[in-house]
Formats: sequence, C-alpha cells, structure tokens
Amino acid sequence: MPISRRSWSVDRRTILKSGALIAAAQITSPFVIRARGETPIRIGMVDPLTGVYAAIAQNEVVGAKYAAEEINKKGGILGRPIELLVEDSANDVGTGVQKTRKLIDRDQVSFIIGDVNSGIAIAMAQVTSEKKVLHVVSGGHTDPITGTSCSWNVFRVCNSTAMDANAIATTLIEKFGKKWYFLTPDYAYGHSVQASFEKILKSAGGTSAASLVPLGTPDYSAYLIQAKAYSPQVLINVMGGGDQVASLKQFVQFGLDKQMAVGGTLFELESIRAVPDGARVGWWTMEWWWDQPGVPHVAEFNAAMKKITGSAATARNWFGYASVQTLAVIANQEKTLDAPKLAHALAGFKLPPEIALQPGAPEYRAGDHELMSTVFVGEAHPPQGDADNMFTVKSPVPGDKAAGPVEESGCKMQWPA
Amino acid sequence: MQSRKLIVLVAIWAVLLLAPYWMAPLGGYTALATRVLVLGLAAMSLNFLLGFTGVLSFGHAAWFGLGAYGAGLTLKHLATSTPLALLAGMLLGGLCGAILGTLIVRRRGVYFAMVTIAFGQVFYYIAFQWSSLTGGDDGLRGFARQPIDLGVFRLDILTDATAFYYFVLSCFALAVAAMGFILRSPFGRTMIAIRENERRSRFLGIPIERHIWIAFTLSCFFMGFAGALYALVNNFADPHGLHYSQSGDFVMMAVMGGMRSFWGPLLGAAVFVVLQDYLSSVTVNWMSFVGLLFILVVLFFPRGLLGFFQRSRA
Repeated sequence: MPISRRSWSVDRRTILKSGALIAAAQITSPFVIRARGETPIRIGMVDPLTGVYAAIAQNEVVGAKYAAEEINKKGGILGRPIELLVEDSANDVGTGVQKTRKLIDRDQVSFIIGDVNSGIAIAMAQVTSEKKVLHVVSGGHTDPITGTSCSWNVFRVCNSTAMDANAIATTLIEKFGKKWYFLTPDYAYGHSVQASFEKILKSAGGTSAASLVPLGTPDYSAYLIQAKAYSPQVLINVMGGGDQVASLKQFVQFGLDKQMAVGGTLFELESIRAVPDGARVGWWTMEWWWDQPGVPHVAEFNAAMKKITGSAATARNWFGYASVQTLAVIANQEKTLDAPKLAHALAGFKLPPEIALQPGAPEYRAGDHELMSTVFVGEAHPPQGDADNMFTVKSPVPGDKAAGPVEESGCKMQWPA
Repeated sequence: MQSRKLIVLVAIWAVLLLAPYWMAPLGGYTALATRVLVLGLAAMSLNFLLGFTGVLSFGHAAWFGLGAYGAGLTLKHLATSTPLALLAGMLLGGLCGAILGTLIVRRRGVYFAMVTIAFGQVFYYIAFQWSSLTGGDDGLRGFARQPIDLGVFRLDILTDATAFYYFVLSCFALAVAAMGFILRSPFGRTMIAIRENERRSRFLGIPIERHIWIAFTLSCFFMGFAGALYALVNNFADPHGLHYSQSGDFVMMAVMGGMRSFWGPLLGAAVFVVLQDYLSSVTVNWMSFVGLLFILVVLFFPRGLLGFFQRSRA
C-alpha cells in the first residue's frame, strides 16, 4: 500500500546523511593543500608522541622546534625559512614508515629526523636511503643503526648502546671492582646490553653472574636475594621504565645499597624525575647534562628550555636541537640540499660549540656516522638545591674513547654510485 | 535491486582503480592508499568470521603477523621472489590458524574471544623472544620486496609507488573475489545460518564445529595473505603486528565500517587509517577522536558506517 508523501518532504534519514557528510567535510577539507607564497625548506620529524616513549619524544620535539626558531631568526637555510613538520609514529613500525613516506612523497621534505624507538628508526632508514633523503636519528640507541645496518644517508646524534656501556663499565671497574651481578630484562635489548658489558668485564679479567627477569616483574626479592648471595661489588641494572624503578626501590629497601654499588647505562632525566627519592640512586650515563660550568652556550640553552618547559634542559631536548642544527649548518656550509653531497660533507664534520654544548668538538665519525658525543658518567641522587639537580657528573668520557674503533661497530659504509 | 548492486560494485572498483590519481590532489599519497587496501583486506578477513559466521576473534593479529614474518623470512633466507613470499606468508598464517583452530572452535562467545587472545599472545611472545630468528623487539629487517618479472616486462614494485599500489590492488582483488565466491556458495549460506541461529542449525544436522573451524581456517589464510602484503608494504615485520592491540584495531575497523556488509570493513579501515594519518599530524590526542567516533558509531549506527549509508531495503 502506497504511502502518500509530499515531494519536498525531508525525512530523518536524509538529515542524518547530510549531517554526516558535512561532518566528514570538516575533516577532509584541510587536507587540500593550500597555495603557499614563500616556499620554506621542510624538515620532517617522526617521533612516538604517543605510547611509552611519549615524554622523551615530546622533549625532542621541543628542542627541535627551538632550533628551527633560532635558525629562522638567523635567516634560515640558503636564505629560505625552514618549517618543521612533526608526525607521530605512535610507537608502531608500520605507522612510522607510513609517516616517513608521507613526509617525503607528499610534503616533499628535504630532511628526515627520528625516531626514539630504534626499530622504527631502522625501518625509517630503509625508506630514507631508498628515497635518498638525509636522515638524522635523534634518539634511537641500538648499535645496528650505525653498525651492521649503517647507511650513507643516516647520521646519529644520540650514543649507541655500546658507547654508553663502555663508558660506565670502565668507570665502575676502576671505582668498585670486577665482580658483577646483572639484573637483565629477558628480551633482545637486555641480552645485547648484558653481552656488551660482559665483553668489557671479561677483557678486564672480571667475573659475573646474572638473573634474567621477565618484563613487567613487580617483585624482585628472589633476584635480589640471589644477587646478595653472590656478593658482587657492582649490581648492573639493565631494566628499563617501570621495571627499573621497581627494582631500584626494592634494592634500597633491602639495604643492598650499603653492600654494593648499583648502576647501568641510561637513567634519563625524564626517568629520574618520574621516580620517588628512594629510587634515585646508582651510577649511570647521561648523554648530555644541563649543568656544565665553564662550557660555553650551555647555560643559554638551558635557560631557553626552562622558559619553554619550565624545567631544566634534558638530553632529549639537546638531541632534537642538535639534529635540526646539524642539518641547517651543513646545508648552509655546502650551499646545497643535495643529500649525497651533504652526507659526504657531514662525514667527519665537527659540531661547532654553539651546537655541541659540551667540552670538545664532537664529530660525526666518517666510518659509521655516529656522533662522538661525550658520555657523562655520574651518580644519581635526590635533588640537591635545584629541583633538577639529581645527577652529579663524575667523569665525562670522550665519545671516541667510549665508541672504540670503527671496525668494532660492524659498519661497512656503501655510497650510491 | 540487482542493477543498483552492480552500480555500487562498479563505483567501488572505480574509486580503488583511480586512487593514485584522485588521492594526490586531495592531499593524500599513494602509500596511504596501499595501506588502506592491506588493512582493509585484514579487516575483511576478520569480518569473514565476525560478520558472516558470528564468532568474534580477538587474536587475529597473530595470523596477520605470522603472514608478515612468513613473507619476510622467505625473502630474507629462502628466495628473493615476491609471489613466493606471499604464498609462504599465507601458508604460515593459515596453517597455524588451522591447527590451533581445532582447539579454539570448541568455545563460544566471550570464551572464544579470550582463547584467541591467549593464542595470539603466545605467538607475540615467540616473535618477541626468539631474537635469532625474528629479530626480537627490533623486528625482522634486511629484506625488501622484489620486482616482478612477467616475462614481457618487469614490474618495478620496489621503487615505483604506483606500480606497487596496483600490485597490491590485484592481490586484494584476488582475495576479495575468493571471499565473495565462498560467501555465495552453499557453504557461505551455512555460515550465515550458523550466525543467525546456531542451535537451529545444529538441529538441522549441520556439523557446527566443523563449519566454524573451516570458516576460521579460511579467515586465517586471508589474514596471513594480508599480513604478507603488509610485510611487503613496510619491508619490515615486527612483533607489534601480532599483538592483541593490533587485533583490537582490526575489530574496530570491521565494526566501524559495518560488520554485516561485505565492503563495510574496507570503509572502516579507510576511515581508521586516514583519520589516524590526518589527525595524528594535528594533535597527539588523535586516539581520543578515533575512540569517540567508534563510540558514536556503536551507539547510533550499530550496522556501521556503511549500514548507515545504505537505505534499508524494507
């Protein structure tokens, strides 16, 4: 039976549909690229702004944005302003690769920076070398990036895991002794860190034992009892994130801090800030430190960061800053944006003091493209005076000493024909 | 209504075939379209089970990830051949699914979902821990998709993004055609009967367990195939691809797009991927918006976005 309907009547469904279409248009319309008058030089940055590395990734972005402002104040790159495009890799390899392609294919960036997650950084490097784009890895630490997987277009600002391990190991052997116990998370990263520590210890004639701890363990008493029974001089804590905090807290609660030293590679300022005083102990490496009396430009940088974030500059701030500055300074020096030419010029390039912000002039080593940045070995403690004064640098180790010879990195640099 | 269906089908394929040409002016890029296809195929494979057999698997990322590892390991160690890698990935995902499916299909409802999560996480941890084979947390790398030799000419899918898109599109078409044929067959009709009323189907003498197992296995093969394609897209395979949070994304795509319709999950995947791609450039809180959209869809359009746009037949 037919239902009579006025021809102009608008039913509920049509209203809903058009509503949805209008809503969709709101999302898609900014997608259309608008014409731009001035053509800036674009730098693409991919970092895990969401997920477990969010805090440190965002600090890298702060540093990178600050660097971009500074460069634009001084006339940009080749007289053109620079524009920093930041993309979230969501701590997922597929997304990171996708964003890298987006930046290169659609946004036509001249340079790529990223990622904090080493796995994503390596996958990104495959894309950037395929597309022949200069790529600075700001904060992914695993050795292969400038080792077995090294590439002509990839340069790294942060240290390799081996550099951090070498620097702290030598200090711990000198200060405390050669009998060590490892608390190692049971997965690839943990195993590789432990292996590089053991190599150094063995060559110094030391002995060690280890506990492999599953990720996410809340209770370390069983492992700490084993460690105590072994009575080592040093407990190497390779745990990361929440595991690091829990194990350090329990280490102090068990009173082991009076019987042995504790230490490891990284305990970043972001992590120290996030833990209670009880876990602010041990010997660690910092890859950059805000309090370097007598070193030029460091205080200015720290003050600028403090103005933005409200607290002292972290190593991550500096990674982002140094990555962008490196690209600008080399492009301005060579007066080109051609990736192979710039890569050749960067190999062996020494960072000027206003970018290096540390003693000496670290260089991007020609053999593996790793920045020979100073490793600041020191001791963590509850705040003294300044709220961010939670680490005291005891012995800065020069980067080339920590890195060892190029041959050991396993990098065989292949240049495009 | 037959002609209307045909028009829709032609429209879908026209949009897909011309994607490299209309995406760029709209601010998209070809690699994004490739990703939509691959994740769309994965969501459709999941929906083969969820929407047409009526059982919810929350661990389908396992078969997806296994497909990726299968393809990656083949390219890295066995043979530098893209078709062989796709085949190996599909077989690895499908066969593992077939074997474990015999245990999984004994459960229903929330228990089915939980068992699939559990088996999925088993594979996740295997990939995570077996560093010497899978590269562990750093992922499997050191392989790349290979140009395809067609005798007459060489299809350079490695460096030419458009060629690769069309390669993925043809793989997608093959898989979707197979899926469509299965759903139209008596077996497909039986699956829908089980979805609508399992007890009644049992009384009609249909061996329910065996049918669900076959549907599950087929779905795993499709999933493995999608995973193998995903490894080719990234030239990389990592444990996250097997994680249950990835399974959750697939379920979200299927439900958002419309799990009772054949093409719904593809639309869901497109919305999910494009929204993620666009919003995450604008704000770090992009997940809130995707989540909000999901909640809105579930609350107001239980038949999904596609179901909403399709006029009810009554």
